[in-house]
Amino acid sequence: MDVSQYLEIFLDETKEHLQSLNTEILNLEQDPENTGTINEIFRAAHSLKGMAGTMGYKRMQNLTHDMENVFSEVRNGTIKVKGNMIDILFQCLDALEEYLNNIQETGDEGTNENEPLIKLLNDVLDSKEGGEPQKEKKPQAKAEASEESDSKWKDIKFDDTQKRVLSEAASQGKKVYGITVKVQESCILKAARAFLVFKALEELGEVLISNPSVQDIEDERFELDFSLIFVSDSSLDKVLDSIKGVSEIEGAQGALIEDEQIISAAAIEVSQSEAPAVAAEEGESVPAAEKANQPAPVSKAVEKKAPVSKPVVNRTVRVDIEKLDVLMNLVSELIIAKNSLVSASVGDRNNSVNEHIEYLESVTTNLHESVMKVRMVPIESVVNKFPRMIRDLSKKLDKKMELYMSGEETELDRTVVDEIGDPLMHLLRNAADHGLESGAVRKSKGKPEVGSIFLDAYQDGNNVVIEVRDDGAGINTAAVKEKAIMKGVITPEQGENMSDQEIINLLFNAGFSTSEVVSDVSGRGVGLDVVKSKIESLSGEVEVKSKIDVGSTWTIRLPLTLAIIQALMVDVGGEKYAISLGSIQTIEDIIPSDIKTVQNKEVIHLRGIVIPLIRLSEVLDIASKKNPEDNMTVVIVKKGDRLSGIVVDELMGQQEIVIKSLGKYITRCKVISGATILGDGEVALILDTNALF
Amino acid sequence: MEEVKVVMDNETTQFIVVRLGDEQYGIDIKYVDNIVRMQHITRVPKVQEYLKGVINLRGEVIPVMSARIKMDLPADEYTKSTRIIILKLEQHGTIGIIVDEVKEVVTLENQQIDKVAYDSKEEKDYFIFGIGKYEDGGLISLLDLNAVVLDKDSI
Repeated sequence: MDVSQYLEIFLDETKEHLQSLNTEILNLEQDPENTGTINEIFRAAHSLKGMAGTMGYKRMQNLTHDMENVFSEVRNGTIKVKGNMIDILFQCLDALEEYLNNIQETGDEGTNENEPLIKLLNDVLDSKEGGEPQKEKKPQAKAEASEESDSKWKDIKFDDTQKRVLSEAASQGKKVYGITVKVQESCILKAARAFLVFKALEELGEVLISNPSVQDIEDERFELDFSLIFVSDSSLDKVLDSIKGVSEIEGAQGALIEDEQIISAAAIEVSQSEAPAVAAEEGESVPAAEKANQPAPVSKAVEKKAPVSKPVVNRTVRVDIEKLDVLMNLVSELIIAKNSLVSASVGDRNNSVNEHIEYLESVTTNLHESVMKVRMVPIESVVNKFPRMIRDLSKKLDKKMELYMSGEETELDRTVVDEIGDPLMHLLRNAADHGLESGAVRKSKGKPEVGSIFLDAYQDGNNVVIEVRDDGAGINTAAVKEKAIMKGVITPEQGENMSDQEIINLLFNAGFSTSEVVSDVSGRGVGLDVVKSKIESLSGEVEVKSKIDVGSTWTIRLPLTLAIIQALMVDVGGEKYAISLGSIQTIEDIIPSDIKTVQNKEVIHLRGIVIPLIRLSEVLDIASKKNPEDNMTVVIVKKGDRLSGIVVDELMGQQEIVIKSLGKYITRCKVISGATILGDGEVALILDTNALF
Repeated sequence: MEEVKVVMDNETTQFIVVRLGDEQYGIDIKYVDNIVRMQHITRVPKVQEYLKGVINLRGEVIPVMSARIKMDLPADEYTKSTRIIILKLEQHGTIGIIVDEVKEVVTLENQQIDKVAYDSKEEKDYFIFGIGKYEDGGLISLLDLNAVVLDKDSI
């Protein structure tokens, strides 16, 4: 079977299941008795196994199968959840993830059998309390079952129409067989095998009735056997041979049914207790019928049933991102069209045109918003893996710590969410490794022994803020300074004049790591600068605040949307530039005489704050068209906590602009982050004010 | 043998003939996306001198470069016949180059093209890969577009 077309769905769903397993196993560790959690785990493991099997990933399936066995024993209460078992389970999840990564990259699961893990799982199984009697019981039950299964078809009951069809067939000289097919216990795709049996039979005759129903068989809702009533011209041996020709079929039993038998079977139906009768009518509750007939495999029957009743899961719609991009572009063009209408109408003040424009404007704004919403996904999908990571780190580093998360539902653009995982992971690892002290040190400082790490996400205006906070030692600025000087990042003289905040910002320099010992958790010196550049590539920013012995807070600020922004248009030397409204603090009118110089740099003193001035005309290599004697228009922009005043010639008003990339050829210009097309078709460049600081 | 040779010789390439200064250059037509009239170019600060800026081409922002400056010819003088040729290069994306005039499209057979061999020791940049010989005796320099549009310092 060609399954490649399902690969994407498989990958997505497997990731989902793995994530839910991770979360639920963590929950299980906290609350080992919670049956809801156990059921959820079991369901996820079962689906994983099924999917891996369908896709033909045998190794993955074997591993999940053994995991499922453990979960099933846990659910039956025969094994108690213990710390080392949780560890093993997590290792299994890691191994599964490895398979998944292999599949994603190469389409193949790889060759790692993970035998040690499977052995560990089996050890867990063997160690279950009262394992011995259980073992004895099982084969016994099986034997019982197999005895009965040979002639199970006799349990099939006929309703009136079926009886009529049967007698008709018999009158036409066709033979009616009752057949019970047994599938090998090791068979993985029972439904598929059953399907092949049906197919083989259909070549010879007609399957009239099956028990369980065909639907149930397709859904794998049956034990190791199923029974059929089959009408055919062929001999019984031929029929049975063709069934046995299907691989992984253990055997098939059958007999010719005479008319009288049918009737007698019907008679039995009446005399039998009510429960099986109901069961036969409703295919779904067949296991319940078995429950009545064979008390031994009760647990098994229930266990097979549980996955059928799915608890409510997050319903998601997967949208191809390319389709969204097309939609996005359409909206972009609509906005451009609107802008040109606006500029066309400036000439004559025609009211009806204005009305249309207003209407168009509301439409485009709404369209934009709804498209952006489609692209928005909660950051949950990224942060969900962190509790598990912190747990592992806690064990690895031998420090006690707890992760508190809030605002997982905060939504961000899909592209941002995909990219933000690694930087966040870096920050969390840093917090765990460098930030938090060891338990003993914490005690001596009078702090609770268990360290806390907080991950908070919330929306703030047009930004989404993600904070990683710890209550650890804080950043030792003296150590950082020393290290920076040692590594030649700054000179000792420079170090003298730096504020604590400036020193902390040195951490974002490439090749900087303060950990004395290079651990495998963090400390290769490639962390924070990568974090910074990654976040800046998403048009975001990161800053850190720290207080000795109180802790550090890393704040990531990301724009809500990437493609369309509100911008202030300014004129410099006759050229138009756009400044993102999100970065603008205020706009000031400054008298030239108010400009002071500090260290040969122009600054202004504004309401108690000294703000450095940047003359945009100088940065952009263009002559200002303004008389230097006139008052200056200064746009105060912020980058984190820092402010800067940008001197422009003229303000041209606010506008919604569509960000376009400058392409691969123009890479040298750092102060320009992109371009946009104005209403009159002209191209205006977008200033990256962060690069001006 | 004979047959194979004939096929090879008959293989043709179409070139757009453009004028830069006094010389004629040929641009392989398969890279040409569009030819547009000279229009306002928005200057981009702090970039290489030959990158003149960006234009708006049907809602897309396209960088525009001066072939003259890149090839060390005297700077452009924009006239009525100045055109921007929009090139679509597979790996590097779309870029426009300014030419003085677009003359015609010619079809050259392989045998009409003389490949140019360079002495690799020479420092000078080369922007042509061959010389095309016209039927009426004219010559055109065939541009090696990758050499023209790419900045070898930045790669």
